[in-house]
Amino acid sequence: MTSTDATTQLLRRDWRQRREIITPEGVPLTVELAEFSERATALIIDLLICLAAGIAMLLALGLFVTTGLSGVVFVGVLMLLLFFLRNLYFVHFELSARGATPGKRAVGIRVIDRHGGPLTASAVIARNLTRELELFLPVSMLISALAGVAGAHWGSLLLLGWVVCFLVLMFSNRDRMRAGDLIAGTLVIVLPRQRLLNDLVEARARFVFTDRQLMAYGKRELQVLEDLLRRPGDGETQVLLADVCDRICRKIDWTQPVPPADTAPFLRDFYTAQRAFLEREQLFGRPRADKFAAAAKRE
Amino acid sequence: MSIESEIAREVGQLPAQRPAVTLKSAEFRRTREQSWVDLEKLIGITERKGVRALAPDDLQRMPQLYRSVLSSLSVARAIALDRALLLYLESLSLRAYLALYSPRIGLGEAGRQFLRAFPAAVISARWHLLIAFLAFAVGIGAGFWLTVEDESWFTTFVPPWLSGGRGVASTRASLLNGEIFAPWPGFAVSLGIISNYLFSHNTVVGILSFSLGLFAGVPTVLLIAYQGLMIGAFIALHYDRGLTVDFLGWLSIHGVTEISALLLFGAGGLVLAEKMLFPDRYSRVDSLALHGRRAAEIAVGAVMMLFVAAILEGEFRQLVASTPWRFVIAAATAVGWLTYLVLLRPRGRTP
Repeated sequence: MTSTDATTQLLRRDWRQRREIITPEGVPLTVELAEFSERATALIIDLLICLAAGIAMLLALGLFVTTGLSGVVFVGVLMLLLFFLRNLYFVHFELSARGATPGKRAVGIRVIDRHGGPLTASAVIARNLTRELELFLPVSMLISALAGVAGAHWGSLLLLGWVVCFLVLMFSNRDRMRAGDLIAGTLVIVLPRQRLLNDLVEARARFVFTDRQLMAYGKRELQVLEDLLRRPGDGETQVLLADVCDRICRKIDWTQPVPPADTAPFLRDFYTAQRAFLEREQLFGRPRADKFAAAAKRE
Repeated sequence: MSIESEIAREVGQLPAQRPAVTLKSAEFRRTREQSWVDLEKLIGITERKGVRALAPDDLQRMPQLYRSVLSSLSVARAIALDRALLLYLESLSLRAYLALYSPRIGLGEAGRQFLRAFPAAVISARWHLLIAFLAFAVGIGAGFWLTVEDESWFTTFVPPWLSGGRGVASTRASLLNGEIFAPWPGFAVSLGIISNYLFSHNTVVGILSFSLGLFAGVPTVLLIAYQGLMIGAFIALHYDRGLTVDFLGWLSIHGVTEISALLLFGAGGLVLAEKMLFPDRYSRVDSLALHGRRAAEIAVGAVMMLFVAAILEGEFRQLVASTPWRFVIAAATAVGWLTYLVLLRPRGRTP
């Protein structure tokens, strides 16, 4: 597992599920699974685009063939058109240089290979055409049945059950794979968006701490402090900083009083010293995960 | 750092004007930062405008920068405790990975790749295809034999929405004029027929026999045998009225393609079944993912064949009102598919 997991979960109050993939170069990377709501939104956007294009094409076609189109035939032709349109649409966009359909890009999700290998064209095609089996064909047939093309019969119920079965499959597996993902070996993930923030290390330290004082905490506390220092400096943060500063002083037996104006510089110096200490310890093969590990080591 | 100063610090007596703090991780970041920013810029362009928007030099640099950011990530994981930095490097690596390892091909190329992959997939599933074919043949035999003995079996085998008014009460004339040599209904309506055909019975059966492969393949085999049973019953109905040859002509003009497609759907389902039941040294899910693409290729190819069958049925079947010519077209489609799938398949690829 990567080193950032536990703290990330704690700090972002993050609900996202994580999985690990290994790139072809052998480096493990953490990915975040997309939520069902995000995927549904992306699908709806894509379908609306397809539907609009389909109707536009049908109107253009209607200029040629105006007479003699009964409702039944109209529905039939529309379905045929939509069938081609949506399949070409999905496969085209997911194979193109940008790698996702407009809907997926708007929501910020992507399809990747489940194990971190390169995403192949056949996986993309398999994934999208299985959607045909899972959703579109049954729904098209339901519509046909309701419009009287195929004649409504017991099949309608069966078709509904069919779609429901696939939905259950998607909701019940750990990786949120629908049947198409299962067959193509893919995952849908959230595109990462992390900016490069400035380093908090304070080169000129005013406050100096002893190793004994720095031993009180571990990596987890350090990263919580980092998160706190990166917050926007509003009143709430000031109160939090003062509180944390107070607790740290008590924990490490810092006897001199820290004036309120010096709270932030003090914490930054402490952060720097603490990080320098913990990184050195880690290099020497003595990593400290959190304050409990740190305390145990000292005993 | 000398031992004395170490001791002095330990006791907390080092004077306040000590030298500036240097952290390995901060130094590391300072030296590598520029290459990360460069890579981020390149990825930004790729994500917004596609890889073609990159200058040739940048295109060449991107994989190098990607490797270097991966190495930065590995180093940072070992030496740095700066969470923001670790998250950033991880995110940057993932974005670069996505940008570099996506397929980036056009629809035409994807289509060509598929047309090459389909025959190979079919050949690799030849035993599954044979099983599907045997189930179908057994169905035809049983359906024919039972219905010839007693025509009331026809109504048992063929549900009313498929018989289209044909049945025990049909006469030779009604079959001949209402079905086999019925007039062509015109282009618009025939398009409707194609669509109806695609989104109705055959597709359902195809999809079902493919997907039900996930249930150990038993429903797949049963479904295919049942299709054979129905066709056997139809043949018997026409046999009793002396129309066997004309009916076979009427059926085969699109049936060669259509039935092949159905059998391929079944074979795809059986591939899924086999890989679920006997996952070899993989987990079942991984085995499915590994071989599922092949099964899906077969199914996609079968959909393509159903389209061809739909066009043959909707347009040509009623336009070509002559049994010998229908047989000629049927034979031509059979030869065409065999040539494509067997003779012209790409060689030298392990299935």
